[in-house]
Amino acid sequence: MIRNFIKTAFRSLTKNKAYSFLNIFGLAIGIACAALIFLWVEDEVNYDSVNVKKERLYISRINEKFDVQVLTHSSTPGVMGPAMKEELPGIANTCRVSDGGTSLLFSRGDKSVFASGKYAEASIFSMFTLPFVQGNARSAFLQVHSLVITEKTARKFFGNEKNVIGQSIRVDNKQDYFVTGVIKDIPENTTLQFEWLMPFQIYFDQSPWLKSWGNMSLLTYVELKPGVNPATVNQQLYNYIQKREPKSIAHVFLFGMKDWHLYNEFKDGKMTGGGQIEYVHLFSVIAWIILLIACINFMNLATARSEKRAREVGVRKVLGAGKRSLIAQFIGEAIFMSLISAAVAVFIVATVLPAFNTLVQKQLIIGFGNPYHILALLLITLACGLIAGSYPSFYLSSFNPVSVLKGMKLKDSWAAIIRKGLVVLQFTASVVLIISTVIVYQQIQHVKNRRLGFNKDNLIEMDLQGKMAESYRPIKQDLLNTGLVENVALADHAIIYGGNNTSSLSWDGKPVGSKILISQRYVTPEFMETSGLKILEGRNLTVTDTGTPYRMIITQSMAKLMGKGSAIGKRVHGDGDTTSATVVGVVNDYVYGNMYGKPDPVMFFSSAPKNTTVMYVRIKPTNNTEKVLAAIQGVMKKDNPAYPFDYRFVDDQFNQMFLSEMLVSKLSRVFAALAIVISCLGLFGLAAYTAERRTKEIGIRKVLGASVSSVTTLLSKDFLQLVILSCVVAFPIAYWLMFNWLKSYQYHIDIQWWVFAVAGIAAVIIALATISFQSIRTAIANPVKSLRSE
Amino acid sequence: MIKITDLEKFYRTEEVETIALNKLTIDVKKGEFVAIMGPSGCGKSTLLNILGMLDDPDGGSYVFNGVEVAHFNERKRADLRKHNIGFVFQSFNLIDELTVFENVELPLIYTGVPSSERVKRVEEVLDKMQIMHRRNHYPQQLSGGQQQRVAIARAVVNKPKLILADEPTGNLDSSNGNDVMELLTDLNEHGTTIIMVTHSEHDARYSHRIIRLLDGQTVMENIMI
Repeated sequence: MIRNFIKTAFRSLTKNKAYSFLNIFGLAIGIACAALIFLWVEDEVNYDSVNVKKERLYISRINEKFDVQVLTHSSTPGVMGPAMKEELPGIANTCRVSDGGTSLLFSRGDKSVFASGKYAEASIFSMFTLPFVQGNARSAFLQVHSLVITEKTARKFFGNEKNVIGQSIRVDNKQDYFVTGVIKDIPENTTLQFEWLMPFQIYFDQSPWLKSWGNMSLLTYVELKPGVNPATVNQQLYNYIQKREPKSIAHVFLFGMKDWHLYNEFKDGKMTGGGQIEYVHLFSVIAWIILLIACINFMNLATARSEKRAREVGVRKVLGAGKRSLIAQFIGEAIFMSLISAAVAVFIVATVLPAFNTLVQKQLIIGFGNPYHILALLLITLACGLIAGSYPSFYLSSFNPVSVLKGMKLKDSWAAIIRKGLVVLQFTASVVLIISTVIVYQQIQHVKNRRLGFNKDNLIEMDLQGKMAESYRPIKQDLLNTGLVENVALADHAIIYGGNNTSSLSWDGKPVGSKILISQRYVTPEFMETSGLKILEGRNLTVTDTGTPYRMIITQSMAKLMGKGSAIGKRVHGDGDTTSATVVGVVNDYVYGNMYGKPDPVMFFSSAPKNTTVMYVRIKPTNNTEKVLAAIQGVMKKDNPAYPFDYRFVDDQFNQMFLSEMLVSKLSRVFAALAIVISCLGLFGLAAYTAERRTKEIGIRKVLGASVSSVTTLLSKDFLQLVILSCVVAFPIAYWLMFNWLKSYQYHIDIQWWVFAVAGIAAVIIALATISFQSIRTAIANPVKSLRSE
Repeated sequence: MIKITDLEKFYRTEEVETIALNKLTIDVKKGEFVAIMGPSGCGKSTLLNILGMLDDPDGGSYVFNGVEVAHFNERKRADLRKHNIGFVFQSFNLIDELTVFENVELPLIYTGVPSSERVKRVEEVLDKMQIMHRRNHYPQQLSGGQQQRVAIARAVVNKPKLILADEPTGNLDSSNGNDVMELLTDLNEHGTTIIMVTHSEHDARYSHRIIRLLDGQTVMENIMI
């Protein structure tokens, strides 16, 4: 019987090519979209899964309660790790790792390349899964000047050399390090990323502040013993720092590796349950919506052309087919169609995956031999077949054989209402996606165009390497001499990121017990002009302000905190010591760290070049950036010859801060477009069916004098009504969704009515264009032919 | 074999109720060939559909092979139908997507006949209907006469006790029509009961008895000699 069903299904497919194409292609696009999204979701959900001990690995986090917020971060005291391991029985191991990526110049022969890596304790090799290709974990960090590199880094220096253990690489033009291990490249969906690892001891010895319990500046990873409940350890950790540093407001807790990527959002010191997981949920929902839209096409086309299948249903029933066997037949057909679509979808996915990877910045691959991928594809296919086949199969199998064999016109009323309902559902989803896409785009543009308080354009940032600090004056002069540079300055922290901050400050009039986090920056006096900050009151910093008594410039919000009247001349004291600084100038507020947040208060101190880490070069507005860069490179090569020219544009860094939002924006644009394409395929099929069904009516109308335009209007009107109804349903849904999404951003746009109008008009135009082809074709057909065919 | 008593069937629309069968009583014996005639709308096809268990009566009794079937549900009717009744339609009603062989095979599939047995029986019946050479053709590649032969082959392949034919020659020229009537007569002579609805007096002459209907009632019965 199944063979008979397959035969009928296959022949029916090949006989009605246009219908089959619409169905298969629509469903294939749907499945392909869903497959791409699920590949992305899989990658996200499996973040850090390369680590065998994922369930037992944690990072120590700190909660610090300030006046307006609880700050949650991962910077911990440099001496905490070993103490925890020794004192807390639940902890199997700890590992201290330098925070962020340290960029160092690696040289070998004539090759010099900057590489980013970390200083870490040897326990990193047993806690994290870092398989060695050459060397081994045991001997990796026995020597101080050991260097463990990834395969990729090894290839950079040694090509395809089989054994590089013991080879030397000069680091920062100062010290030779010896390769003691090469580890497999780290998968992209891993939190711990580096090109090299060096023994932690080097970093610890260079950084005296790490020995204090009051300073928090490195990461402490923790491995719990099997079966240990992290909540028990967290209780022991809550006042752990206070035992050594009673005044500290820092409370330690463990944050599990399984939550690092997806649930990394904290409010009031607690996990909100939000983070990247929200995007995972969002896109999973979008994937199912797109599949549903594709399934609806199938249902609509299947029921719309049910008249063509009616006779077959009648005959089969007369010959003894029961309702159940007919339902099985039609669901089977839908699954068969779905299987073909899945095969086409695999081809589509394989073709577009490289482009998709570029879009989402991942290296996703289709696992042809991966049983999970095959199973997932089969499940999606089966789900599509069942969803798409369910309604048509019940509808078709319910035909009365007497009526259909007599050739009576089917009573289409219920089926037509359901069909219209499904079209409304499709277009509602599409319109919601269009509106959401526009609003997400507007919000991102809104933040990107935000007046940050400084000028991020034409501003180049360089890490200070080699003699750059020492030769600051000549470098600056040479850069100005190029005629292409407006100004040059130094700072201790990148301008758009959060820098050092402290709450241990007081001033006259500050409420007792108040904890306010204030950022402090050390800069050369040219910094204000170079970055574009405006001095609103008082004067700029000078070179002589570097020594005591300290003088500083503060931002407007800091001046406001210090009370009414001019802030000039007011003093700020360090808690618990005698140092103080006097305000000599006030600059405008500027946004840093969180681009959606409000500008936090900042204090600027004048600094000698040797205490800074980055150089800023303000270039004159130009159309020829390459020429400017070449000029700067020339200067750097002359004044700092041992190091390659390494730079970044601040506006690029700024754009980097919107990666998640940009991804959402780009993906929602792509998927909204595809949802519309699939919906239109369905609409096109329905329009064709309607035109065919009404051929006789149109013929009679034309004979009686109807014009082409009146016939076209007649055929298009019903569909347009449905699209307009979809808009009415979609508008409040989209408004509610977007209102809630925007609420999560402090700095956000207001939703404007015209977005809805534009989305509605766009949907109507797209639908009209889809339907009009069929409508016009039917309207201009010769009525004699259509009447004769009856 | 068939005994219907006071059979009633109404068709209702919002405003009008039409009586299709009005307390109709008919007996058909095993091995009979009965023709049902009458003007359009007299209830011929309605009667045939009820006899074929494709439709429910609204009142009265229908006893088939000694079993009251008037109130059988759809599943029971389908089961009884597929084992006992074959249908021949005016418009052939072959499935376009299936070949001649597959169309004839279909009733055997629904009655669960094993594959090897199916091939044997289909070939047998195609041979008998002289359509074997067309076994791999699709319905639209055949003439009307050939299509009706296929339809008859499909109706008899399950060796039904009863064949219901609804104007079997209505779409055929006279020569093909005669061939079809010869085939039905032959089947009847081999023991199959046949009830045929027809407008054609010529075709009706092949039967043993003509029942004439008007407004859902029997107005006359002619015994053919």
